[in-house]
Amino acid sequence: MVMDAGIEQHLAAGRHARAFDLVVPAYKDRVFRLAYSILKDRAAAEDATQETLVRVWKALPGFDGRAALGTWIYAITRNTCLMELRRRRPTVSFDDPDSTEAQHAAASVATGPAQDPERDNLLRLLETLPRNQQEAVRLFYLEDRSYDAVAEQLGMPLGTVKNLLHRARKRLMELARPDEVKAA
Amino acid sequence: MNDPTLIGPCADYEHDLVDLHDGALPPERARTVRLHVAQCARCRGWAQAFASVDVQLAADLPRPELAANFDARLQERLAALSQPVVRGDLRTAIDFEHDSLVDTLRRGARRSALLGAIGSATAMACVFVAARGLFREAPGALASLPGGTEPWMMFGVAGVAIAIAGLAWSAARNGLPLPGLAR
Repeated sequence: MVMDAGIEQHLAAGRHARAFDLVVPAYKDRVFRLAYSILKDRAAAEDATQETLVRVWKALPGFDGRAALGTWIYAITRNTCLMELRRRRPTVSFDDPDSTEAQHAAASVATGPAQDPERDNLLRLLETLPRNQQEAVRLFYLEDRSYDAVAEQLGMPLGTVKNLLHRARKRLMELARPDEVKAA
Repeated sequence: MNDPTLIGPCADYEHDLVDLHDGALPPERARTVRLHVAQCARCRGWAQAFASVDVQLAADLPRPELAANFDARLQERLAALSQPVVRGDLRTAIDFEHDSLVDTLRRGARRSALLGAIGSATAMACVFVAARGLFREAPGALASLPGGTEPWMMFGVAGVAIAIAGLAWSAARNGLPLPGLAR
């Protein structure tokens, strides 16, 4: 990325403040979108973006360039967001995104659509998916359907992202149109 | 059962249909898939259902943006972090932390010393009183003690005296001294 090359030149020359001045406009929106896809709350995502950039500012002098700058910044963003999620709900297991939380939500929605069509909307159904699928879907559409952007920001291989998105949207089809669509 | 989407797309084409929709399919493969879709009602129906979900998601998902004052807030935070540390303030902060730590340790040590002294004094007093009562009730027992009554009475009195002295010393020194931490 051209912008990253400029930033890295400043970093190599020890001009960290100048480098940071380029980091903010280059990354703040993408960091915010990633934070929003994880936290699902605009204000919290903005706070997480602030926190991420402050951490980047503090750590930039120690950035050794072993990872790409974006990879490094997105990793900080994800850690910041996970800390925020842990702060909100300390009992949630992040190693098990398909755990009871999603299953309970799915069960509660599964009984809903037939009785209340208003509830049968995709955003509600999206909430029933495993956390990693929700994040991928939100980020995919926030990033204008870019698989590459989602893979980079979530720190996942491209194939994993494609698979997540495929499973998520297929499941949404099944949930949204239970009488019409069945799994292949 | 007439709905072609009911049984899903052909298994070989499911992923390709998604990639085709997302524009992620190589041109040659895209052409093949389009030809197949034109001939296959199942895949056509499934692809349409998928497209409708995709369009709805794109339309319904919120697209929040950063607040207008985001940069100003960030600069404020960074400016606060950039404030040079005033040496006097730093010294005061270190002194405060040190004094707090020493005070906490002293309070703990004082409490332990007081409780220990009171405990030992009480225990010795109980032993002393019990011994006196025992010997009064059973004078014959005195004779059976090695060395007679005197050494045992002295032992009890000395124990109580040591406990009381410990208590007094602890109170007089305001707890145990901590020479290594005193400034």
